[in-house]
This record gives sequence, C-alpha cells and structure tokens, in this order.
Amino acid sequence: MGRNRTFIEADIVAQCAEIFRSTGYEGTSIDDLVQATGLHRGSLYKAFGSKRGLFVLALRQSAGPTIPTDDSTDLLLVALMELAPRDPEIRSIAFGILSGVAPRHTPQSLGERLLERACETSTDEATTKDSA
Amino acid sequence: MNIITLTDTTLVVEPQGLDKLWSFTRKLEIPLSHVRGATFDPGANQEPKGLRAPGLAIPGKWAGTFNKDGDKSFWNVSAPSETVVIELINEHYTRLVLTVDQPRSVVDAINIAVQPG
Repeated sequence: MGRNRTFIEADIVAQCAEIFRSTGYEGTSIDDLVQATGLHRGSLYKAFGSKRGLFVLALRQSAGPTIPTDDSTDLLLVALMELAPRDPEIRSIAFGILSGVAPRHTPQSLGERLLERACETSTDEATTKDSA
Repeated sequence: MNIITLTDTTLVVEPQGLDKLWSFTRKLEIPLSHVRGATFDPGANQEPKGLRAPGLAIPGKWAGTFNKDGDKSFWNVSAPSETVVIELINEHYTRLVLTVDQPRSVVDAINIAVQPG
C-alpha cells in the first residue's frame, strides 16, 4: 500500500553516505538525513528499516569494485571507529573490505588517511550541497 | 514509557502503567524475523503522526494507533528525547514509536538481536 517509490535508492544511499562521512554515525540524526535527501521520514524508514540499515548499504555501496577513494576510506573509518566494536555484522563487513581479494587498505594507508583527514580544512562545509 | 524485552525469538513491548490504557495495548509481541531494525530518533515526534484511532494525543503524550499514507504505526511517546523507532514487516503495525529508558542501548540490543546468525 502507500504510494509507489519515485526515488533511486542508490542516489539516496550516496547522499546519506556523504552525511555519515562528515558528521559520523552517532552524530547523524534522522532529521539530518531527512533534510539531505528531501524524503519523508516514513519513506526513509520504509525503504531502509533503520539508520543502521542505511549505513550498511552505504558501506557496501562505497566498497564497490573500484579503487578506494578518500570518500570510501572515510566511511570505512567511521564504521571501524563507531560501529565495529559493538556490531558484529558491521565489523565483518568492514574486515571483509579490508581483506579484499587484493588488499587495498593497509593499517598504514588507513592511518595516513586519518591524519590527512584531520588536517583537511572544512572549507566545503558551507557548500556540502552536492559536490559529487 | 515502555519496557522492551528481547527473547531468543521475540521482541516484547509493554506499555507501563496507565499507558496501557491510553494506547489500548497491554503488550505487543513481535517475532524477531519481523523486525527490520531500530533507530534512536528524538526528532520523530516532530512529524505529523497521521490519524489517531484509537488512542490519545495531548501535548506531551501520544499513545495508540496512528494511520498515515496507508501505514499503521503504534505510538507510545511521553519523552520525545528518548524515542526509538522500530520498523516492522508483515505485522499489523509497520512502525513502533516508543519512549524507552536508555534508548541507545535498547537500539543496539535490538539491532544485534535481529542480525542473521
């Protein structure tokens, strides 16, 4: 019942991934996601089940077959920092990404990215609209 | 206020005290396989809730069944800042919006309980 979906799930997931990267998992409220996607709260819940469900999709989507970008590494760092210690499924997804067929992340590269990220000035914060 | 209990196979929601009366509900038992996930969502209460039938809606208290866009949701909210949203499938209600003690740990416990394996 209800209306048909008129949004593209992958786009919504990508928009939400952007928010998770910049404000972290716990720091992101459903209000933030509603605002970023322009969807109704009910539609978000219906499509993804929970904030966690959305994060899992974002993590899987960003870890696609491509070479890791800074964006996908940042999301992986958020997963490792915030969720992996208390969520077995996310831990196994994260470690799955880490030990991919050809290991693309090393402790060294993750640490370097973390330090690089810390020094990035958030000039794009005012214009996070749609840089992608 | 609600007490949420997890067993091996079910999620049990018990409205406390007079909330049983306002919400016309003593207890909800949901198989874990019908639970899609839980989210800590203090902002949920700001949204239009839909048409209430039956239940109670006064400032500071929302309890009972609300219909919106063809979906039924069960509300028992008294402290919006401690609200969790539980999304269901193949159930009478598509969504439960509940005030609980320690919402973050309740959400974590539910999300871990519904994981396969």
